[in-house]
Amino acid sequence: MSQEELVAIQADKVVDARGTACPGPLLAAKKAIAEIKSGEVMEILSADEGTKKDIPKWATKKNHEYMGTVEESGFFKIYLRKA
Amino acid sequence: MPKRMTMALFSGSIDKLTAAGVVLTGAAADDMDVDIYVLLQGARAFRKDIAADSTKLEMAENPQLKQEFLDSLKALNVNPWLEFFRDAKEISNVKIHVCGLAGKIWGAEKLEDFNELVDDIVGISEYITAAQESDVHLFI
Repeated sequence: MSQEELVAIQADKVVDARGTACPGPLLAAKKAIAEIKSGEVMEILSADEGTKKDIPKWATKKNHEYMGTVEESGFFKIYLRKA
Repeated sequence: MPKRMTMALFSGSIDKLTAAGVVLTGAAADDMDVDIYVLLQGARAFRKDIAADSTKLEMAENPQLKQEFLDSLKALNVNPWLEFFRDAKEISNVKIHVCGLAGKIWGAEKLEDFNELVDDIVGISEYITAAQESDVHLFI
């Protein structure tokens, strides 16, 4: 998925985990994905460098679709579609 | 069948308990069933009065840096060690078992002598059996 397509996505749930360090964002993502339906999109905001690799790996292992990551200034957004 | 992890948590120092909590969170986020067997020093950390105030615990390594460690965790918005265990229990099947002997050594004989996150007091054979059957086993 291109950056333009990712940026245009209206996520069904946005999780702002910018205030936490690993494993905070993972924990927040795990809790929040339970609250959306299959096929819905979740956007996770984080500034934690380890999380950039960690959440896509975790999501793929759990059969969710990792759609991509968008860099912002000082943080990034990870997009996932729930299995 | 979910994957299973067993952890022998011997340590009762604030740095090692924090590390154990981080590992535990990863396992719980992965939907693993986790059985934690709390051994000697760990049992002291889970004693009700001590668990309520983690500043009572020392560092296993670089003890002189305890304040710096605590300040840094605070600045990074990282919860006290016990909260990792609480969060993990919320998102996955995590059980905390305390070794009966360890409890007695620190004057905690009954379940109510421990923090409410502790599930039960067990003997060593339960730990060995669980470790044999688990996919991942850690000693911290």
